[in-house]
Amino acid sequence: MTVRLYPFQLVEPETLAAALDAVAGRDGDARLVAGGTALVPMIRLGLVKPDRLISLHRLPELAAIRRDGGILELGAMARLADIHTAPLVREGWPLLAEAARRVATPAIRVSGTIGGNLCYAEAASDPGPALLCLEAEVRIARSVGGRTVPATDFFRGFYETALQPGEIVTAIRVPATPGGARSGYVKFTSRSAEDRPLVGVAALVVPDSSGRWLDARIGLGGVAPTPIRARRAEATLRGESPTDAALRATAEAAAREAEPLSDLMGSADYRREMIRVWVRRLLTMLRDGTRSS
Amino acid sequence: MKLELTLNGHPCTADVPAHWTVLDLLRDGLHLMGTKYGCGEGVCGTCTVLADGRPMRACLVLAAHVRGRALTTIEGLERNGRLDPLQTAFAERGAAQCGFCTPGMLLAAKALLGENPTPTADAVREALAGNLCRCTGYTKIVEAVLAAASGRR
Repeated sequence: MTVRLYPFQLVEPETLAAALDAVAGRDGDARLVAGGTALVPMIRLGLVKPDRLISLHRLPELAAIRRDGGILELGAMARLADIHTAPLVREGWPLLAEAARRVATPAIRVSGTIGGNLCYAEAASDPGPALLCLEAEVRIARSVGGRTVPATDFFRGFYETALQPGEIVTAIRVPATPGGARSGYVKFTSRSAEDRPLVGVAALVVPDSSGRWLDARIGLGGVAPTPIRARRAEATLRGESPTDAALRATAEAAAREAEPLSDLMGSADYRREMIRVWVRRLLTMLRDGTRSS
Repeated sequence: MKLELTLNGHPCTADVPAHWTVLDLLRDGLHLMGTKYGCGEGVCGTCTVLADGRPMRACLVLAAHVRGRALTTIEGLERNGRLDPLQTAFAERGAAQCGFCTPGMLLAAKALLGENPTPTADAVREALAGNLCRCTGYTKIVEAVLAAASGRR
């Protein structure tokens, strides 16, 4: 049986200033909507009952994917499908392209936006761990001035971000991928391939000519209240040779520093075990060149 | 809320409540019942339609967000009384049983062939990953899409 959405008013501002005015209004419960792939099911399930939705779809400038010097700037309304197919992203930021391509299914990626993905603050985000590895920043507009927040600080808790009332995420800025880097994203799902990850692992390593890893970054999704960087695990590798034993120790460190929950997809213990497996597997593939992007 | 859009190649106007989705617009506003309501959460894929040639979950997208865009529903897949080659291939290869997932399958496949006219079997499976069939399984569906792509009958 068709379940209709709980009724709301829809505001469709045509300028960012008008959108900021609309979110500044404190009457009732207003929500911003981008693609709607997360918010619409939440409304249908009755998890939220906003009386006003403020749509950003009439702000095409927020959908741009462009280069600003060495930095990739993704408008908050850039669609996940456009991010993973854009030659600019595929060539310069392959880790992000790969993670965006793993979000759900083709139709969801055509509607879903990068800004919406981050603002939903799903712990099992696919782009989240990749953006943490790439040390991305989130641009936030408000009626007076604006601010930039590192992605690591943007994720605050379970479905919670640093976004304050009256603010709108306008862009994600991603610094250049380090020269010579190898990177990849793998996800393990316990139900179906297109599901959100039980464990998602993004990694970026920079080998030197002797095979030591000058830099190693590991992002994890689905294993803590927010996407996280596994910094203690990374520290075990930096400047080291990635031997099989070293990678096993790194994977063990990552499993220890995660704070997984148990839910319908899998228990906390199972998630820790899958971190061990998938961190080791991805790092081994990056070392051996059997997968790199 | 007034909307103007292109529906199956023809200009279309509608006046629907602001909280309606594209699926509400199609089924209840325009009485096109070919697009099905399945899960309402974007998981099952049976409400898939095309917007400017790309796949869209009609149950997830607000009707306001397709203003000015070109929608294709299952009713618009046949042209001048001739079935789309995908429809013919599905029929001839038994790629439908109860039929509830079929409109979404056909439109997801149509979007794929628009983007990649000669897909591999893996590419077909990936394109249809968000479309669930609970009757036949997927073998004949994948075969039908490949057959339509290659012009085989």
